[in-house]
Amino acid sequence: MTNSIEEIEDAACIFIIGSNTSACHPLIARRVFRAKEKGAKLVVADPRNIQLSRFADVAVTQRVGSDVALLNGMMHIIVKNDWHDKSYMEARCEGVEEFLASLDAYTPDKVETITGIAPADLEKMAELYATNSPASILYAMGITQHTTGVDNVKSVCNLAMLCGNVGVKSGGVNPLRGQNNVQGACDMGGLPNVFPAYQPVTVEANTEKFSKAWGKELPNKVGYTITDMVQAMIDGKLKALYVIGENPKMSDPDQNHIDKALDKLELLICQDIYLTETAVRADIVLAAVSVAEKDGTFTNTERRCMKVNKAIEPLGDTLADWEIISRLSTAMGYEMKYDGPEEIFKEVTTAAPSYAGMSYERMGLDGLQWPCPNPEHPGTQFLHKEQFTRGKGLFHAIEYLDPAEMPDAEYPYFLTTGRMFAHYHTGTMTRVSPHLDAEQKNGYVEIHPEDAAALAVKDGDTVKLSTRRGEIQVPARVSNKVKPGLLFVPFHFAESPANVLTNAAADPVAKIPEYKVCAVKIEKAA
Amino acid sequence: MEEQMKKWLEPFSTTDGKPSTLATMQEQVKEWIDQDKIDVFLGYKMVQGHPLPHFFTKSNLGEVDELISGQARYSLEKIATKIAAETPDIKIGLMVRDCNQRALNVLYVWNQLNPENVETIHLNCCPSKLKKHADCSYLEPEKAAVYKKKVGIDNNMDVEDAEAFNMEQRFQRWMYEFSKCIKCYGCRDICPVCFCKECSLEHPELIATGTLPPEIPIFHLVRAVHMGGRCIDCGLCEDACPVDIPLRLLYRKVNATVQDEFGYETGTHAGQSPFNLLGDEVTLEPKPL
Amino acid sequence: MDYKIIPSVCSYCGTGCGVLFQVMDGKLTDTLPMKTHPVNEGKLCIKGWNLHEHVVSDKRLTTPLIKKNGEFQNASWDEAIQTAAEKLKGIVKAHGPDSVGILTSAKITNEENYLAQKFARAVIGTNNVDHCARL
Repeated sequence: MTNSIEEIEDAACIFIIGSNTSACHPLIARRVFRAKEKGAKLVVADPRNIQLSRFADVAVTQRVGSDVALLNGMMHIIVKNDWHDKSYMEARCEGVEEFLASLDAYTPDKVETITGIAPADLEKMAELYATNSPASILYAMGITQHTTGVDNVKSVCNLAMLCGNVGVKSGGVNPLRGQNNVQGACDMGGLPNVFPAYQPVTVEANTEKFSKAWGKELPNKVGYTITDMVQAMIDGKLKALYVIGENPKMSDPDQNHIDKALDKLELLICQDIYLTETAVRADIVLAAVSVAEKDGTFTNTERRCMKVNKAIEPLGDTLADWEIISRLSTAMGYEMKYDGPEEIFKEVTTAAPSYAGMSYERMGLDGLQWPCPNPEHPGTQFLHKEQFTRGKGLFHAIEYLDPAEMPDAEYPYFLTTGRMFAHYHTGTMTRVSPHLDAEQKNGYVEIHPEDAAALAVKDGDTVKLSTRRGEIQVPARVSNKVKPGLLFVPFHFAESPANVLTNAAADPVAKIPEYKVCAVKIEKAA
Repeated sequence: MEEQMKKWLEPFSTTDGKPSTLATMQEQVKEWIDQDKIDVFLGYKMVQGHPLPHFFTKSNLGEVDELISGQARYSLEKIATKIAAETPDIKIGLMVRDCNQRALNVLYVWNQLNPENVETIHLNCCPSKLKKHADCSYLEPEKAAVYKKKVGIDNNMDVEDAEAFNMEQRFQRWMYEFSKCIKCYGCRDICPVCFCKECSLEHPELIATGTLPPEIPIFHLVRAVHMGGRCIDCGLCEDACPVDIPLRLLYRKVNATVQDEFGYETGTHAGQSPFNLLGDEVTLEPKPL
Repeated sequence: MDYKIIPSVCSYCGTGCGVLFQVMDGKLTDTLPMKTHPVNEGKLCIKGWNLHEHVVSDKRLTTPLIKKNGEFQNASWDEAIQTAAEKLKGIVKAHGPDSVGILTSAKITNEENYLAQKFARAVIGTNNVDHCARL
């Protein structure tokens, strides 16, 4: 997030696109409700009728995968009405002309044919966002999990800059991160192209710096992303996979493909707190501890690095992940010897400039928001205040592209996937939790009443869903949450795994798979 | 932040209005623990700038010097109930404000705590400028949603104010509030007088599972009905509600009915029994819930 | 009798709510919202309120496992670590460091992520390190 969670409350307009906030980030939704009650305008764009839709001043259900057209259409209207912030654009941005020219074609009528949004609704969305300042944009995987994920994000940024909403309190571009420490995992360099704090591995000075610090010659070639790894496994290039606290068999797209990839590995090591669907396939399973059994830090979606404190001793013969990695490293001839997480954190502060000013002591229980470059720095509530981190904010001219797979005669429905409120990701944590399990015991597919009637499917009937990748059987939930022609399957349930169906086609830059759109066939199960 | 911290550290005063000191309270607690009058004292301690519930026992007697009154209210009596369920004979000391005492009274009459095993140190309530009964600092304009003028039910309304809306308005405004619900069950989980092992809110035949918002208004009305003769108007539910549903007002209304119909004054004293609420002829046997 | 309240952070979504773990005689029994936390101000969602349940689940792994003849067998840490290290070394030797991939995790701490990428880069010698940010 460019801005902080508490700032959302004081926005004059909140535009939520591709985030089912009240189900997936409930304590952020709290700020949205409060903002609304304080008088903020609320605009919701989501292919499904989500809980927040009913509180919106305008809510639309765009066709899945049509976000670039939607956003360009809003911007077309904003520019046409002269609602954009010209002085902000001139002073703080670049690439303006080419970008503005690219909007010409996105007339409300054209946008309607792509998105299904009525011109009057689009007009209203544009007006509310552009004429109520500061306006905050919240988005999540509904924007990113597309073959055009990067284009979607750039379009969101274009909209925010067009109206002067970046670098201002209660404004901003605010991706809501789905995992407790996905921000931290990225910050720490858990990515194939960067060292800690996003220092590229391809920049010689960085490789030299870290080689020196770690006493080892380091590679300077960008590595495989998770999506590349699967293909490299199939191709026989990747022979060993060491998986820490993830369940790719359930979480990656096109599960049958993943199964084949795992089959080809010579060595699979899984480090987890449960025997997950992936760990079952492992040669070696390293039993780790949970959040309650160790010290350390998590960095949340608003860049707040917070202290996690050990509450109980490790259960059974388990070890903290940092201890396991240290031991494995030492056993491989590279000694990693740390007294504990605090000593590792001190090393982190020397490696990551944005964390340089942090310490366990300073963090307290409130945490510190990066960038926090020195011990006197109070942390940063919102980014790009005086100027953009890169200097000028760069506009990108973005053209709409169809998703990788569109419905056809054989697979006539759109399928989209996501989370439901009581469960989490691949369900490893929530399905073993009695209170959460009680709330939802099995998977389901949401289908519109009209579609259900046409197929003679009643609520609770088992249906067969099939795509070009595979098929699953799952109970139908007849619901107005989805529009006719769209089906939704939550991906938490191993008995009806949504990711057997999903398309592994990925964004060319971010390599994020298109979980949110594919073509599917639905039949009543025999 | 510092301003906020200062507020939480304010010294408490006794009921007669005389300022007292933390030292008096700390001495009392030490004496109780020292003389085995209690095994554990539940109070607050400042941890890295945050007042957190804390357990004081013989093994950490020195820490009693760090005991504070802590204006961030937690349901210490709920923690006490859970401890007592595990260790029935344990003697527990508690720091209590009026609301905690009312909760204790309910827990006594429902046989969840044995008054003989509980010692209390009384604190003044944190007075609110807003209204007399709002005896806690949470009901301040910034914390409570006093801005809900056009939609919903303002969290500072009285039952009478809320009843001034016509029926249609009333229904719409309450449905607005309920439809925000994210089904966290926080109202129940934080409630000092919710102790049932089986909860109607989780009965799948009564309330459908798996959707947001939950089935409304039944989810909230089922809980409201169960609060009749139980709710002690401490406001912890409303304080725990992520979406500011005015639960306290709802339960106050239910409890007023119980008082009007049966003369039962929930939580006011431990002498009354809920088991003969309907009169002497109807005697319900106490049984584990 | 040993009762403790330990402040920590919820490990479900990216919001980062402050929680209090309630520990009785070494057993994790409850999760409470932290009242004065800047993110959640004393409120939690259904997952946060039940955070302790995933910790104390009997589905937890309690010991390292090594697969022998297709069956998992309990192993000591020394054995598991030695086996993993030798097999990894063998693959690096035979096929080069880029034949190894490491998936670090959005669920583990910063410190652990830092070590995991350091392990990939300095110990194995590859930049094949990623996690589920994309998923």
